[in-house]
Amino acid sequence: MKLRDVAYSRSGDKGDTSNICVFPHDDADYEWLRSVLTEDVVAKAFGDLVQGEVIRYEIPVNCCLNFVLTRALAGGVSKSLRVDPHGKSYQSLILDIDVPGREEK
Amino acid sequence: MHLSIGSGSAYANDRLETAAAMADSGRVQYMGFDCLAERTMALAQIRRLRDPSTGQDERISALVPILRRFLASGGRVVGNFGAANPDAAAAEFAENLRALGLGGTRIGIIRGDDVRAAVTEADVALPELGTTTRAVADRIVSANAYIGADPIVDCLQQDAQIVLGGRIADPSLFVGPICHELGWSLDDWDRVGTATLAGHLLECGVHSTGGNFEDPPYRVVPDPHNLSFPLAEIDDDELIVTKLDGTGGAVDLRTTRTQLYYEIHDPARYLTPDVTADFSDVRIEQAGPDRVRLSGARGSARPDTLKVLVGVDLGYKAVAEISYGGPGCVDRARRAEEIVRRRLEPIRAQIDELRIELHGVDTLFGDRIAGGEPAEVRLRLAARALDPDVAKAAAYEVEYLYFGPAGGGGVVTSVVPAVVVTPALLPRSDVPLSVEVTTA
Repeated sequence: MKLRDVAYSRSGDKGDTSNICVFPHDDADYEWLRSVLTEDVVAKAFGDLVQGEVIRYEIPVNCCLNFVLTRALAGGVSKSLRVDPHGKSYQSLILDIDVPGREEK
Repeated sequence: MHLSIGSGSAYANDRLETAAAMADSGRVQYMGFDCLAERTMALAQIRRLRDPSTGQDERISALVPILRRFLASGGRVVGNFGAANPDAAAAEFAENLRALGLGGTRIGIIRGDDVRAAVTEADVALPELGTTTRAVADRIVSANAYIGADPIVDCLQQDAQIVLGGRIADPSLFVGPICHELGWSLDDWDRVGTATLAGHLLECGVHSTGGNFEDPPYRVVPDPHNLSFPLAEIDDDELIVTKLDGTGGAVDLRTTRTQLYYEIHDPARYLTPDVTADFSDVRIEQAGPDRVRLSGARGSARPDTLKVLVGVDLGYKAVAEISYGGPGCVDRARRAEEIVRRRLEPIRAQIDELRIELHGVDTLFGDRIAGGEPAEVRLRLAARALDPDVAKAAAYEVEYLYFGPAGGGGVVTSVVPAVVVTPALLPRSDVPLSVEVTTA
């Protein structure tokens, strides 16, 4: 199952740092999402796109996992030679992550 | 006390008709215009270096007529229209206001965000570049501090109807009017945190009303071609965010959540010039159709330093593309890449950074997602070099791919100045601000 089947996301940029916030479609899946979508899983999915680290902030009141990726935008929006210097499309790459199926609720 | 304030712009090229809809809605007393992104400021400074009479937002003459009725009925406008030249922006506003019979309108000008001299004198660290300002002093084209709401409040207290400046921080454009109208003190940190939450949800325009959101079939909004800027209704007890009636998009739990944490790192410590805002316990409730109520924002003392974006000239950036289609298109494009790299060998040392990728295969995510053979691909070269002739030579090698491998077509090339904007910090005391309220 792809993360996209159970969650949605938005990514933004500040300098060379990207943040991607992820929310389950169903709030009841938040604890499960928290257990499967770890910093390591996200770091592995992004590979060498991220030269720094992946830090996860949890915001349970809004069922949000906010991933902050440092040195992730090839020098930042104004320096990067990438097609998508802002990392606007990172919100879609994170949704490509394979997640294990949930147990039936 | 109650205030209604709407967004009028989220970036330097935002849609004027969306601003017009807000201005003519009769729903808002104030409009806030964010006209700047990280790169916009440096580009504006370059325009000003070429022609000292320019450097301000490029939409002012088109915008003022759109705002005529709003201003004539007493509406107030706050924006970072100044970009690299607040005085030129004020002069352009004044000229257009007089032409519309609105002479006498009071315009507040905020000066002092331009700190190019201060950053070179102080030898400030540029951590993302791994250097300092003095080491790259001859290549610095701009340095602008993100400034806060206090000079805005100052102008509004002097009855300015239009307030403009340079790099006013995005949420501060809204924090100023909110604190002024509701009588909130700028060191009442929880209230400034609430005002910053409102500003954060308004400054990105349609991002709060259904923009950058759809992903069918999971996320769909009605009439996404016709989005509204958001507006906030705020008083001492309540903050509502909504959109104009008769527009598409949505303001609901999902659209609000996604924007709430957009471009925020630690949600408990969102640093702005006005406050250290804490959005970690913000509650969102649906208060009606396309209408949400927000509560629980907090704040603590504002940072002692101000963030500065320093623009550094890195020469020129070349981008060149060519398409290949049909069977074997990826193999032919990879062959083309080999040819280009061989031909660039004599000047490779003068190219500071080089990327060659294939649209349809690996431009966005490298090798992170593997797909099947596409029907067509587009080779893209991007190169940066200090010497414009080296950048042009890199682009030329893509053009010359017309002569092989087989079937390459549709070459487009460009060479543009490359300016990096990179963050630094300055003590507040190094950023003296001043305001002046003039009459159009």
